[in-house]
Amino acid sequence: MFNIKQKRLGVAVALMAVFSTAALAQKSGGTYVFVLHPEPPSLAPHLSTSGPIGQVAPKVYQGLLDYDEDFNPVPELAESFDVSPDGLTVTFNLQRNVTWHDGRPFTSADVRFSVMDVLKKFHPRGPNSFREVYEIQTPDEHTAIFKLEKAAPYMMKALSSYESPMVPKHLLEGTDIRDNEITNKPVGTGPFKFVEWKKGQYIRLDKNENYWKPGLPRLDRVVARIIPDASTRTAAMENGEVFYGAFDAIQPVDVIRLRDIDGIGVTTKGYASINPMSLIEFNTQKAPFNQAAIRNAVSLVVDRQFMIDNIWYGYGKKAVSALSSRFASAGLHAATGNYPAEPNVAAAVKLLDDAGYAPDDNGVRARAVLDVIPYGEQWRRAGEYLKQALAEVGIALDLRYEDVPTWLNRVYNEYDYQINLNYFYQLPDPVIGVHRHYGTDQIRKGTPFVNGTRYSDAGLDALLASGASEPDAKKRGEIYEQIQNKLDADMPVMNLFEMEFVIVYNEKLKEFTFSGMGPYSSFDRTWLDQ
Amino acid sequence: MAFWRLFRRNRSAVFGLAILVAVLVLAATASMLFPGDPFKLAGQPMSAPGTNGFLLGSDTLGRDVASGIAHGAQTSLLIGALATVVAVMLGVVFGGLAGYYGGWIDDVLMRVTEVFQTIPSFLFAILIVAIIKPSISSIVIAIAVVSWPAVARLVRGEYISLRHREFVQACHITGMSDARIMLREILPNCLSPIIVAGSLMVATAILIESGLSFLGLGDPNIISWGFQIGAGRTVLRSAWWVCTFPGVAILLTVLAINLVGEGLNDALNPRLRERS
Repeated sequence: MFNIKQKRLGVAVALMAVFSTAALAQKSGGTYVFVLHPEPPSLAPHLSTSGPIGQVAPKVYQGLLDYDEDFNPVPELAESFDVSPDGLTVTFNLQRNVTWHDGRPFTSADVRFSVMDVLKKFHPRGPNSFREVYEIQTPDEHTAIFKLEKAAPYMMKALSSYESPMVPKHLLEGTDIRDNEITNKPVGTGPFKFVEWKKGQYIRLDKNENYWKPGLPRLDRVVARIIPDASTRTAAMENGEVFYGAFDAIQPVDVIRLRDIDGIGVTTKGYASINPMSLIEFNTQKAPFNQAAIRNAVSLVVDRQFMIDNIWYGYGKKAVSALSSRFASAGLHAATGNYPAEPNVAAAVKLLDDAGYAPDDNGVRARAVLDVIPYGEQWRRAGEYLKQALAEVGIALDLRYEDVPTWLNRVYNEYDYQINLNYFYQLPDPVIGVHRHYGTDQIRKGTPFVNGTRYSDAGLDALLASGASEPDAKKRGEIYEQIQNKLDADMPVMNLFEMEFVIVYNEKLKEFTFSGMGPYSSFDRTWLDQ
Repeated sequence: MAFWRLFRRNRSAVFGLAILVAVLVLAATASMLFPGDPFKLAGQPMSAPGTNGFLLGSDTLGRDVASGIAHGAQTSLLIGALATVVAVMLGVVFGGLAGYYGGWIDDVLMRVTEVFQTIPSFLFAILIVAIIKPSISSIVIAIAVVSWPAVARLVRGEYISLRHREFVQACHITGMSDARIMLREILPNCLSPIIVAGSLMVATAILIESGLSFLGLGDPNIISWGFQIGAGRTVLRSAWWVCTFPGVAILLTVLAINLVGEGLNDALNPRLRERS
């Protein structure tokens, strides 16, 4: 278990101050402008996981921990933590001298209130992340002891400022949490203070002079510019008006163009916490995809690399199992057999023959409608590709595009679909991001992005439950290997490829990838080379 | 033959007719020239024209642009013709009734027509297709719905000018039914402007269909020129041929139809007949 002493951090800061006094002058100051799209619905990260909120709020609020690119914990509001061997007690030692932006001290009471009274009740994923926490003890102002019913290793991955922000008890207690003033005017402990939100134009944050990390933040001001039009966003990036654009702020076709321009860079780092995976969902209760054989055949036929190279401009990595390879650092990843290195049409045909999908006079073995996620053009190209690829083994698809509400209703409420092209966030731990797509208890009519395939298997449910509460990393890895093998054989969901989102940035911007949270990080170390 | 003599006088109309015939032949022989599905992944993606066996190059997924143009010609012409037929029928019924009866019927029908005319036609078409799912039939309906008011106006004007003529009054005296007078007596006399308007409407319909497909509101299972341009738009800088050739196809076809329409107008309009 890691344990970084504050002393060591202090030494590091002192050393940095000695060696870079000259550089420090250049490294501080300046207004950092980034492009935000779309406009956030609020600035309340404790009430919503909406992406645009996540790009602003973590600069104001902080979590107990931050994470590096491999999702190892890094101290933030918790200077260190300790997990008991049985996993039932987690002790957080909090940083000292941390104050809220209104001057009140940050204490363990804020931690207890944030988790027990806000996140567990109001946050979309909080009830799941803190499911096992029944009590938080606060023996003194700088110690918070989490008591758990069962071990919950996944909880330790959900403590970032984006996922579980610490919010001020003194402003929220006794009020309507959903309708408090801080919903739109956040008050946190972070490097930047909220100043102004001009709807439709910008959100302005100014440097927190009393920030608890010495010498930080380096920037004087952060401005999130809200630009609804895609080509205007690209132009702003090209002109140097904005320094940073994440997610789909810059359209893929423009990314290809901008990355060749001097002074503009493109990176895929910073999305580890989101862990997006493109995939196909099969309706396991409806012909023709109600048999595992045909689902496996589809996986054998699809040329994943072709899709990455020709539709996603090379941004992506072939999936080799039900879990993303980003879980490999936690020992939760194993390649499985129905994800071939190269498409294998012969094997697919044999599977279909053996399962009784006989071709008719036109060579058609099965007909179905492919629903395509209505999130833009690349998905349409992918749908067109899949139609052609599956035609090779006699699976004839028709394509259907609908608007978002109709499509969500069809797949997750009416279950009136056969095969659906989609993508999910696998998030930093399978319990948070992946279990929801497979568990029998996750067949929740009307809730989007859960188990829409209606796959239900008692054996798998048991494996998922033990995977969630196994404190030992090695044993946990073994359980997830079994889970991946099971999902490989049954394949209610077939992964296509791990998506690589990009960040387009101006090369004057420095040290913005220090956190694995990427766009959802504090930017306290970030500086502008002026 | 008198018609052809009159039509032939307009050189550009003959030129237009030649192109139109060529497009028709292309559409008719598409399946022979390019057998199989035009969506087929035929080879190396993004091949330039003349390379890897692609006459006009291939698109981002390796689909043959030339095959798409040939098969797309079928779609464009089919939708253009169908939508026009539906629009003309609607327009003739509304305009005919309004013009023939006048009075409150005219008022009611024309107010309805105006409702349709006040909505920008392309936006209206987008709305209709977005509400009913994108498919060939919904596109035909959308184009017809936005196109018929112009025909209705035209037909109404013709009917108003013809309904008091002696030959119509003579029909009344012989006890002919209203329906028969409208269809058998008046309609043939205002056929020429309808044909001219209809021919131009085919061109508009092709443009609207291309626009809808470009925006991704076309039938996803049927190739069309607008779809090809929409799909190739993102690679305009790196693979110009994907957009350019379907664009040229639309340009030539619409131009040809307009020229032919002009020629028809010259040939059918008695007032222009002696124009030299």
